[in-house]
This record gives sequence, structure tokens and C-alpha cells, in this order.
Amino acid sequence: MDQQKAILRRLYIVFFLICLFAFGVAFKLVSIQLIEGDKWISRASNQTTVYKSIPAVRGNIYASGGSLLATSVPIYEVRWDSQIKALSDDEFNIQVDSLSIELAQLFQDKTPLAYKRELVEARNSGSRYHLVKRNVNYNQLKKIKEFHIFRRGKYKGGFIYHQQNKREKPFRALAARTIGYERDGVKPVGLEGAYSATLSGINGRRLMQKIAGGVWMPINDENEIEPKDGADIITTIDLNIQDVAHHALKRQLEKQSADHGCVVLMEVNTGNVKAIVNLTKGADGEYYELYNYAIGESTEPGSTFKLPAYMVALEDGYIDIDDTISTGNGKYKFYDTYMYDSREGGYGTLTVKDAFAFSSNIAVAKIISKYYSKNPQAFIDRLYKMNLNKPLDIEIFGEGKPQIKSADNNSWSGISLPWMSHGYEVQQTPLQILAFYNAVANDGVLVKPKFVEEIREYDKVIEVFDPIVINPAICSKATIKKVKAMLEGVVEYGTAANLRNANYKIAGKTGTAQIANAKYGYKYESKVSHQASFCGYFPADNPKYSCIVVVNAPSRNVYYGNLVAGPIFKEIADKTYATSVEIHDELAYIKHSSKTRIPVSKNGHLKDITKVFEEMDITTKINDGSEMVISSTGDKQVQLYGRKISKGLVPNVMGMDLKDAVYVLENAGLNVKVLGKGTVKSQSIPNGRKIEKGAEIILELA
Amino acid sequence: MDIFSKYLKGDRAIWLITLFLGVASLLLVYSSIVTLAYKHSDGNTLRYLVRHGFFLLSGFGIIYITHNIKYNYFSRISQVLLFASIPLLALTLIVGTNINDASRWLTIPVINQSFQTSDFAKLALVMYVARMLSVKQDEIKDFKKAFLPIFIPVVIVCGLIFPANFSTAAVLFAACLVLMFIGRIPISQLISLASIGIVFIVISIGVAKFAPALFPRAETWVNRIENFSKGDQEGNYQVEQAKIAIATGGIQGKGPGNSTQRNFLPHPYSDFIYAIVIEEYGLIGGFLVMFLYLMLFFRAIRIVLKSPKTFGSLLVVGISFILVFQALINMAVAVNLLPVTGQPLPFMSMGGTSIWFTSVAIGVILSVSREVDQNQAHEIPEKENNELNNQEENELAVA
Repeated sequence: MDQQKAILRRLYIVFFLICLFAFGVAFKLVSIQLIEGDKWISRASNQTTVYKSIPAVRGNIYASGGSLLATSVPIYEVRWDSQIKALSDDEFNIQVDSLSIELAQLFQDKTPLAYKRELVEARNSGSRYHLVKRNVNYNQLKKIKEFHIFRRGKYKGGFIYHQQNKREKPFRALAARTIGYERDGVKPVGLEGAYSATLSGINGRRLMQKIAGGVWMPINDENEIEPKDGADIITTIDLNIQDVAHHALKRQLEKQSADHGCVVLMEVNTGNVKAIVNLTKGADGEYYELYNYAIGESTEPGSTFKLPAYMVALEDGYIDIDDTISTGNGKYKFYDTYMYDSREGGYGTLTVKDAFAFSSNIAVAKIISKYYSKNPQAFIDRLYKMNLNKPLDIEIFGEGKPQIKSADNNSWSGISLPWMSHGYEVQQTPLQILAFYNAVANDGVLVKPKFVEEIREYDKVIEVFDPIVINPAICSKATIKKVKAMLEGVVEYGTAANLRNANYKIAGKTGTAQIANAKYGYKYESKVSHQASFCGYFPADNPKYSCIVVVNAPSRNVYYGNLVAGPIFKEIADKTYATSVEIHDELAYIKHSSKTRIPVSKNGHLKDITKVFEEMDITTKINDGSEMVISSTGDKQVQLYGRKISKGLVPNVMGMDLKDAVYVLENAGLNVKVLGKGTVKSQSIPNGRKIEKGAEIILELA
Repeated sequence: MDIFSKYLKGDRAIWLITLFLGVASLLLVYSSIVTLAYKHSDGNTLRYLVRHGFFLLSGFGIIYITHNIKYNYFSRISQVLLFASIPLLALTLIVGTNINDASRWLTIPVINQSFQTSDFAKLALVMYVARMLSVKQDEIKDFKKAFLPIFIPVVIVCGLIFPANFSTAAVLFAACLVLMFIGRIPISQLISLASIGIVFIVISIGVAKFAPALFPRAETWVNRIENFSKGDQEGNYQVEQAKIAIATGGIQGKGPGNSTQRNFLPHPYSDFIYAIVIEEYGLIGGFLVMFLYLMLFFRAIRIVLKSPKTFGSLLVVGISFILVFQALINMAVAVNLLPVTGQPLPFMSMGGTSIWFTSVAIGVILSVSREVDQNQAHEIPEKENNELNNQEENELAVA
């Protein structure tokens, strides 16, 4: 029992101590409330602690080949907490000179002395957030991190930096308007706007506290939510075609001193927009991507609209392409207004196909008036059926609305029908016209123009955009076949004969529209401005691409579609065709006939030469099997003599082509310099000399 | 109350205290996890509430199971547990999950639940010390026979906890000292042991200052202690925010769920939960919580008074002391009586598995209490016979 008693006694002592401890806590608690209370309550009321967002990194926009079209480049603001405790006065004083010199050398904007003065002043005045430099790029930041004092880091050196993101387009003007931008307070533009949610990601947040001097400092790690970076967008833009289209349009606009113009090139069966160029003449006469005409500008299309007009009549079975129509002397009165054809004196009587090829206004107007004047709504309904009255609903904001008025519309007049038939009193954007022509090229399947292939998060594809079919058949296959022939006729012998070429066929239609001038209407002759366009597809036999070129208000006197827009189309089509090897016709294999002469070959590598001749079915006779040979072309066969190359001696490269000559000489240890082109005609060191390693030998080629 | 006494045996007050703490814990944790919930689950606080509720509920299950175990069994099992805990602690130091440079957590392979090995070792060591003290009662003054066998495991376990978790090691070391003191180890020996501990701490802080790589945590300790001793509270964000919580709470508090400081305090659901208690429930709530923990210790003394066996007494005292001590340290940190440490408020802080270990601890206390009550019930006929004698004895014991 003694033990038990002793234990109890000690237990009471412990309990007493515990109570004492508790009393201490309680006392401190009350004293915080009563004695310091006011101080803390007032501190609480001006507790300026706020969640600030940490911006997520915006996703990139890529061209279809993977080139960067738009990306966020970080720029930094470098600041310094001069009052950091871990930085003693001694250390600061020793290192401040070195730091100042380093800063001055890096930025070259102030003297080392000026930097030093600023730093010392910041420290003396107690600044905890001294601005060292704005707009510092990443490479500079990396260097700054190694500077004296700053290399001690945030907690020991007071080095603070903030990242901001700046949007950059590495290819500058290329597709700039379609890539677009997003800025505060401005309506978002282009793909940046359309895919804003995808690109922008989710901002994180961080608890920041306001410290002396109105400066925000992050409080602790626990309260941070990491931002989720935005996803990347892979567009359908093909940078090479875009580049070609951009410069072709720009050159022609400059030549014509036009107000503005646009080009869109689309892949026929997917609707992928491979290139989209929009150029506007700036005040300085240069051309800039300022407005997306292709998407936003809804205008009267003019002659390119004859295609749907003819398709309506063909589809209803009223005409066939070989039917004839009289266009008279090129002047015809509809109701109370004269209509003219562009050729002086008129086209006389024409087949439908030719009328389309030569773009006779009277022909199409007469045909449509003849069959639809009693029931114009039938004509309109057909156009509606081909989706011409509906926008394409593309994701980029600001698509121009197409307008095709109904026959019961108030503005419907006696000349509405004939004028609509050749592209007036209707409105379409270039992209809408292109989509329609693309549907013809695509055997009647109307696909939606597409700007984005897929969305990726880091390198993982998270969404793929498949082609969207708006209308699986805008008309019958028979009609498609007929209008295709008509479109080919335009280039073969019609208004766009200047686009014809031997390699591949282009099909399309020119358009030259007068644009209603805001001030004067069409009528004030001297102020009439024009819109020249060409819309078509290639290769016509098996269409791969469709393309539209629109040039507005060319101010020189040339304004016809074939002359202004046509060459741009041709240049783009030629280059696109040339680089799309997969759509080339296979070249026919031509066997070397004994009648033609054997082509002369240069001296050179044995295996190369025999391989070429083997392919051409020409017999070669090898007299000596060394690596390099001299070829001698006979009537029936080629004789190949070995050219001996001795180690340590300068070889004979006469008659060789450059590739083989350089191979032989540089292998031997010589340094080759070249003048001219062709085969080697002279070598500055004669063969047989001893080689000095690294000596220079000059080859003259001719 | 019939059901209560039928299934829930042992000290009724301790049951009620635990229940009250559990309910309070739910309220406070739900209120204070907002920031954490925003960080990890888009502001879904309910998920945390459900999780915490699960741990509390299963905690009561553990208390129930543990309190039905005969406490003598703990005497035997304590040896096994202690020997298991030493390699576990060593393993944690080497491979443990790293949070803030401190390897404190070990993941149980199959069920994939991580736990602090120090929680486990704490229980094992206290049980073991209680056992050794009761076994050696008769030769307790003998340095070699009694002091050394008790002292060596204490030093090993605390030494292994120390590098990753200074405060837990210190609390455990102090609790063992107190337990040894109550278990009649001579004061002179205890003073020398305490001074060894202090010298050890001083040396390791010194080592840490000159070779920080050896103790990655040492910098934190030194900073905390320096901050505290300098009284440079302007720079000590946590303390400042805790004081604002306490001052704005007033006498009645802002009411449940109305804390604003939860947004500013780091770990408002564990390390600084006491500050939230005061902010939301005022001085009244703060004192009540403190009273509950003191009451727990007081009830433990009541059990000791009734307990005929030394092991049972020392077990109850050791465990309840460590719970109360830890609670008071948590409170002392909140009111800035002590430098910032990471001690949670037992059974109140959101702590996952640590709640389970606290539950085991409470279960052990109740187990002793249950057996003491049962023995008393059996002794009643005997007592009636020797009523006078026994009463005399009891009075003596109380005195």
C-alpha cells in the first residue's frame, strides 16, 4: 500500500502541474482577448488578404504540319525585396557593385553606377518590392538568376520575379486575322476567340497578403491551387500553301492597287481550310491582315452566282447544256431596265455551256426569266434547298449572313429574277460561295469549311474534328456532271482561258461584280467599283482542292475576274499542285528506243552510272571495275573505264560532276573550292601530285 | 441508460467526453476545411466531412472493441508492439512519405492506407513503460535493474522519432519521464535523464546548424524557436492569424461555421483547430474544450484510485497524460504560449489514422476502467463483510 500511496502522491503533483499548464493557457487566452484584443480586432478589420488568380498558360495554335502559329511567350518583371533578413549589410555592400555591373551589362540601358544607386536607395528606404526591370525575356531571366545577390534566391537574396504572358505569332502576318486574338474589352477575333475556352485553361489561385507599401506577397503553399494550362489547337492551315497564297494575293493587290482582297483554299472532301488570306490596304499603301473578308464580308457575288442559277434550271429539267439560247446584240431589256453582256455587239446564239463559259448575263437571265417568271418562288426554293440562304455556322465569330430574298419580299421587283440569276440582289460571303463550289467538286456533298483538325493536351490528342456534312446532296448527280463540264469549259475556252495549262485541269468561274457604293449606288458611273473574283477547283478530273480569290475595288482600269483574280488563282493552284505529289498523274514509262541517241553521261561513280543506264535498258561495258569510272558513250553501248585513284596522290576528277568530284577529293584530304557549274573542266592541282592534307584545290566547272 | 451500461462499460464520463469531442470535431473540421477542399476537390467540402466522419465513427468502433479486451493483455502485447515499432520507425525514416522534408508516414501495403509510425510507437512505448514500471515496483530504486531497462527503450524510440518529428519525440519523452516519476523512479535519476535529453537536443540543433544536410527539418525548428524567443511576432504569420482568430472570437464566438480566419490560418483543421474553436464558439467554447481534456485526466485519476493493480494504474495515467499533454500543447501553440509545433488536438483535429490510434488509447483507458468496475461489483459481498475495514483503507488511499 505504500507503493500505491506514493504513486498517488506523485500523481497529484502531476495533476497539479497539468492544471497549472492549463491555467497558463487560459490566462494567455484571456490576455489575448482583453489586453491585446483591440489591436488584433483592428488588424482583422484591415486584413487585406485576397485570393489572386495565377493565370494558366494559354494553349498554342499550330499549323497542320506542326509549325507554331500562335504561342504565349513569357516575359518577366524582376523585383527585389531589399529588406530580406538573410542578406546582411556586409554581404550587400560587398556584392552590390558586382550586381550593378552585371545588370548594366545585360540590359545596356543604365550605367552600373545608376543601378547601384537605385539598389542602395531601395535598401535604405526599406523597399520590399523594388522594381529592377520590366519586360525581361526568359534568357535574360536565366542570366539574372546567376547574378550576385539574386542567385541567393527569394528567401536569402530577396529575388522576386513575376511571369506575364505575351501572345506572339511566329509567322507574323500569315493567316493573322484567322488566328485572331483575344484582348480585354475587345470582341474576340478568329480562332483565338472561337476556341478561347479550350486555349485559356483554368486559372489557379493563390492567397496573397498586402504588406507595407501596398505590395502583394504570396502567403503560403497550402492555399495555392495550381493553374491548369490550356490545350493546343492544331489548325487545318498548311503553312506552305498559306505562304504562297499570301504572297500571290499581296503581289496582285499591290499591282492593281486594290482596296482589299481575300483567298481561301479548301480541301474538297474534308472541308479543311488549307489557306485563308485577307489583306487590306493600310493608310501607308501596304497590305495588312485587318479584317476577315472571306468570312465576314457578305456582298453581291456577281457571275460566280450563275452556277447555282443554271443548276436550278438543269435540276428542274428545263434546259440541257447543249440547248441554244439567243443573246442578241448584247443588250436586252428586262421589264424597264437594260442588261448588257461584256462583249461589244453581243454573243449571238449560244449553247448553254458556251453561254456559261463566256459568262453571258443575258443568257442566264433570259433562261431563268423564261421558266420561273410565273412562279419565281420555285427558283428561290431550289436555291434554298442548296443551302445558299443559310450561314455555314463556322466557329469563328462574325460570319456574314447570306441573303436570298423570298419572292414575297417587299423589295421583290420585276427585274429581281433576271438580276438574281447573275449574282445581284443576293449576298454571299466568299467562304459561302467557295463552300458551294466545293460541294460541286465533291459530287454534290456540301461539307462545312473546317479550320481545326484536333485539340491536344500536351502531346495527347483529346478531340478530333471530323468533316461535317451540311447537305449530302445539293442536287442530282446528273446535274453535277453537267455543271462540272460547264465549269471546265470556262477554263478551256471561256473567260478564264488564261488559266489553262498542260499539267492539270482547272475548273471554275470568273466573277466581276459592280459593288454598290455606299454613297452613289451602282449608277453613278465614275464611282462604280468592282469586285473581281474567281472560284474553282483542281485538278478538275479528280478534284482535290477548291479555291476562291476575291479582289475588291481594283483601282486600275482592269477589273475583270479572269485578269485580276485569275492569275492569283493560277499561281496558288500551280504551286499547290506541284507540291501535292499524291495527286499527280503517274508519268508514262518511256522505253529507250534504239533510234534515239544514248544520252551522254559524266564521269563518276560506277554504281550510279550503271544503275541509271540499267533503268534505261542501255548496255554498259565495264572494262575495269574500280569505284570511279570514265564513261565513253558509243552508238550502241556505253564503255566504262576505271579511273585509278592512288592513295596519297591527287586524283584526276576531270569530267566528273561536282558531287563525285567533291567526294573523291575531300576523301583524299583536300579542301575543295568550286567555280561555275557543270562538269569539272580544270583542277588547280594536277593529278598525280602528292597530297598535302588540307590543301585547297580549286575546281572550275563548265 | 440500460443499453448504455449493457454495452458500453467503463467510465461513463470518459465515454461522454469522447462523444462530445467527436461531435465538436465534426463541426469544426467541416467549417475549417474550406481552403483544403478548394485546393483538392473543387470546393467539395462534403467529401472531407464524409471521410472525417468515417474515421470518427470507426474510431468509436475501435474504442468499443479495445475496451472489451482484458487490460492485462496489453501488458504482454506491449513488448511485441515495442519491438515492432523500432524497425518501423527506422523504415519510415528511410523510405517514409516525405511531407515538408519530414519522413513521418508509412503506407500499409495491402490496404494502401498511410499512417504516422510515431502514433503507433507512442502507444507501444507508453504501454511498455507502464508494464516495466509495474513489474519492477519492488526494486524500483535500483539503477541497473529498474532504471536502465525502462530508460533504454525510451531513448531508442524517441531518438528514432526525433529527426522527423521533434515535437512528438519531445512530448513522448516528457510523457515517459512523467510516467516514470509517477511510477516512483527516484527524482535524482529522472533529473539526470531529463538533462541528457536537453543536452541531446542542444547538440543536435548545433549539428543541424553546421551540417544542415543531416537534419533537413532542423532549420524549421531553429526558425520556429528563434521566431518565438525573439518575440518577433510581426513576421510570424501563423501566430498573428491565430491571435486574430482568438481576439475576434470574443466571449461567445462568431457562431458555428462563421470563422473567417480559417482562410488565413494554415492547417486550421488540425494544428490551429483550437484557434477556430475560440473564433466560432468564443471563450466559453475554448474553456469547455480545455475542461473536457482536464476532465479526462481527472477521470483517469478516479480509475487509479479504484484500481488495485499497479499496471492498470500506470497504463491509465500514462495514456491519459499523453493525451492531455498533447492537447494542452496544441492549445498553448494556438495562444502563442509555445512555439509553433505540429501537435494535433487528440480526437478533434482532422487526422485520419491518428484518430484510430487515439481511439485505441481511449479504449485502453476504458478497458482498465471496465475491469476495475467489474472487480468492484464482484467484491461487493466481501465488502459488506468487512465494510468498516475497507472504508478505512479507502479513506487512507484517498488521503
